[in-house]
Amino acid sequence: MNCPRLKDWFEERYDLRGIRLLAREKLVPEHRYDLWYYTGGITLFLFILQFLTGMLMALYYVPHVKFAYESIIEIVTKLNMGWFFRSLHHWGAQLAIVFLFIHLFGTLLLKSYRKPREMVWVTGFILLGISIFFGLSGYLLLWDERAFAAVRVATGGAGAFPVIGGFIKAFLRGSIDVTGDTLLRFYAFHVAILPIVTLALIGLHILLVQFHGMSVPLSLEGEKRRDIPFFPNVFLKDLMIWLVVLGAVVTLAVLLPPEIGVQADPLAPPPENIKPEWYFLFMLETLKLFPGTILGFNGETIAILCVTAGILFFFLIPFLDRKSSRGEKSPLFTWIGVIYIVYFLVMTAMGFLS
Amino acid sequence: MQALGAFEKIIRLSLRRLAGPVVTALFTLAYAVPCLAAEPVAVFPGVPYDGYIVYESLAVFWIVLVALIVVIRMKLREIERTQQLGAAEEDPNAPLLP
Repeated sequence: MNCPRLKDWFEERYDLRGIRLLAREKLVPEHRYDLWYYTGGITLFLFILQFLTGMLMALYYVPHVKFAYESIIEIVTKLNMGWFFRSLHHWGAQLAIVFLFIHLFGTLLLKSYRKPREMVWVTGFILLGISIFFGLSGYLLLWDERAFAAVRVATGGAGAFPVIGGFIKAFLRGSIDVTGDTLLRFYAFHVAILPIVTLALIGLHILLVQFHGMSVPLSLEGEKRRDIPFFPNVFLKDLMIWLVVLGAVVTLAVLLPPEIGVQADPLAPPPENIKPEWYFLFMLETLKLFPGTILGFNGETIAILCVTAGILFFFLIPFLDRKSSRGEKSPLFTWIGVIYIVYFLVMTAMGFLS
Repeated sequence: MQALGAFEKIIRLSLRRLAGPVVTALFTLAYAVPCLAAEPVAVFPGVPYDGYIVYESLAVFWIVLVALIVVIRMKLREIERTQQLGAAEEDPNAPLLP
């Protein structure tokens, strides 16, 4: 399609030639670990998919304690392809978090966080936290007994945090227990507050990646390598991978549509063997390792403090790994990264099997 | 006297004596019905024909995806070949056409 008049109209007003030159000048290093570069793109694609399917669901969802469950049933059973879009939204969320973790652990092991890319790590880490909160808030919107119990446990766990725990719990619940206020609050987070923050952070994250360029692993810095243009070479490869991911999400959505449980009843006992979403399992298993009291202190509080310390250390790795920032190899932080990954995988597997 | 004894036995087996437990059992069962496991919500089209259409669409979707990937791959190889030949680079000494 060639529209010279339209092209001229835009070129008279905007510096399209400059943008074209900028796109042509963007280069991506080609090496044996360059597959990791695509994990960020996949996550971005899944986020876009989540925004689109979420918008469709928001057209029919009713964020009220009396009608939330019924509206979901209506979306799934009465709307044309409603079951499919809900399933797509569910599996898109699961895969987005899987790829976020893969992207995060890849960045950690390749030391892509090292100077001057600390802020890229910081924005990415906050995005992971937001995505997990996206998952938790979206889970409650279903308003079935499992979601209700899981959110009650999660917000209760936040309440065990010393000093500010009570405030966090009250802020999340909006009431003394998980009620209609919590549902409305989580809905506001899920469809308004978190998307805006996510968009801003994704924008900043991508901008920082463009500013610094793609990171090359330390072990390959001295090697001779080829740089390939982002447009069109890497972009077309991205496109192919996105199509495969789209196919995987659609297949999962069709073959394994997520179940809907019984409507939440605040007075009913929680269902047996209640488990949170898979990305919370490692935390739950860690909490189980601690006894009820330790030296007279509440065991749960100490466990939550330990988990928080672990996450904080993980977040601060770019600032603690001095050797990498000097361009030297730092096997200590490679081992720390491996320990984090193994711990996360083992605890998640234990959570599934228990 | 024998007839009286038989009559007493009939009374003993009469519905009047069974009425109490029967009514209690009926009430218990009737009360327990809503407590039985709720029917799961159908999260996939229940009619076999609709299910078949969905699986068929999934197969067609994958065929289209693979076709698209093949087309993009061919285009990428063509671009790479052009880049290797150096044909994509602009020649600064190329004469301008009037």
